[in-house]
Amino acid sequence: MPIKVEIRNLHKHFGKNEVLRGMSLDVSEGEVICLIGPSGSGKSTFLRCINSLEQPTQGTVTVDGHLITDKHANLDKIRESIGMVFQQFNLFPHLSVLKNITIAPIQTRYMNKEDAEKNALKLLARVGLLEKKDAYPANLSGGQQQRVAIARALAMGPALMLFDEPTSALDPEMVGDVLEVMRELANDGMTMIIVTHEMGFAREVADRVIFIDEGLVVEQGPPSEVFGNPQNPRTISFLNKVL
Amino acid sequence: MSFLELIQESFPLLMMGMGLTLELSVVALLMAMLIGLGSCLLNISKNRVFHAVSQGYINIIRGTPLLVQAFFIYFGVTQAIGMRMPAFTAGVIALSLNAGAYLSEVFRGGIQAVSAGQMEAARSLGMPYRTAMLRIILPQALRVAIPSIVNQCCITIKDTSIISVIGLAELTMRGQQIIARTYRSFEVWILVGVLYFIIIYAVTKLSQVMEKRLSLANKGGDQEPS
Repeated sequence: MPIKVEIRNLHKHFGKNEVLRGMSLDVSEGEVICLIGPSGSGKSTFLRCINSLEQPTQGTVTVDGHLITDKHANLDKIRESIGMVFQQFNLFPHLSVLKNITIAPIQTRYMNKEDAEKNALKLLARVGLLEKKDAYPANLSGGQQQRVAIARALAMGPALMLFDEPTSALDPEMVGDVLEVMRELANDGMTMIIVTHEMGFAREVADRVIFIDEGLVVEQGPPSEVFGNPQNPRTISFLNKVL
Repeated sequence: MSFLELIQESFPLLMMGMGLTLELSVVALLMAMLIGLGSCLLNISKNRVFHAVSQGYINIIRGTPLLVQAFFIYFGVTQAIGMRMPAFTAGVIALSLNAGAYLSEVFRGGIQAVSAGQMEAARSLGMPYRTAMLRIILPQALRVAIPSIVNQCCITIKDTSIISVIGLAELTMRGQQIIARTYRSFEVWILVGVLYFIIIYAVTKLSQVMEKRLSLANKGGDQEPS
């Protein structure tokens, strides 16, 4: 499989605080990667560097052959092909569900209004929320909001999806629906990088699990190995706490 | 002359004054909105020069009285450039520059009240900064800022009375003219005050309707999630 994302020697400092200390990662097309690790380990910062929501202090990120860390990179264009789903959903509260999904394709001229709406309805059906198309975000439960957020990210036809703890802000009974949508996405062959605390989901869906601690990749491999037979003492101690 | 007769006699002049006050307020406030929005966008820009220009403007306006600003523009600037300026033009410039600085900060407060996640979500979808600001951030920021915007409108409408000093025959100036003729200070100032009050009251009511209509609460914000 061709390489979709290539990350080399990523460093990120916030003042004196070194959050990333030289992380590298290759992601193949269609691969599903779960990043796990204690809070404050740098997982989210790492993810946010991939679509340049954070500017790395040092290192390079290449997505689909585009060097996103280049100063002159057309970030808007590259970001169109990278969907992102946030922990806090970040739906636009002043727009209906349908408009939340169509605004980016229409405003970036990726699609005309008619096509964007047709596509949005298709995506809403896919996440099981077609009947909520005219609702506003405040009328939806957290789980529904997150599914709309996933549909919104998919509306730009991304080649890569980033998930930043997509179920961490949800009530437990809502988590399943969101994970189900993500599972289907993975089965459809989407390239996905997921920061998650859902170890059961990571074990089941991930092609590769990466354990991050203190801004470094400590251990990685297929879930059966990382979860079943972890090698590094820090991985063992972390998994003991969360499993 | 009875109070009723006084009202009758001064009514035409007071109405002319009120008309000019309204005209001055509307033109100045419309311009102030544009100036304020522009200044606010410069202020939150990462470009240091832009930020400094906006901050300097705000500091100067906030640090000096409107009366001095009006004198400076009507007498000072015209002398410096050697050109006369109609009092109305000078009044509009002084008022709009003044209100613009305060509105700039009001808008900034509104924008900063919108969660950073909104901009991140918009940008991560590939929307350029300008589109994200215009379509996602500002519509939410302005809703938050409505009470403060209305506040500034009330202040500026009343500040038009200060512009009487450069010879504009607005409501306050008309009041003085009537008093000069009738020596009825007590009644005339009450009349003038009542007219200002009516304008402000109307603005307040109008804004309440607007606020209700734009409220996110009508979009489910006040309902429990199902």
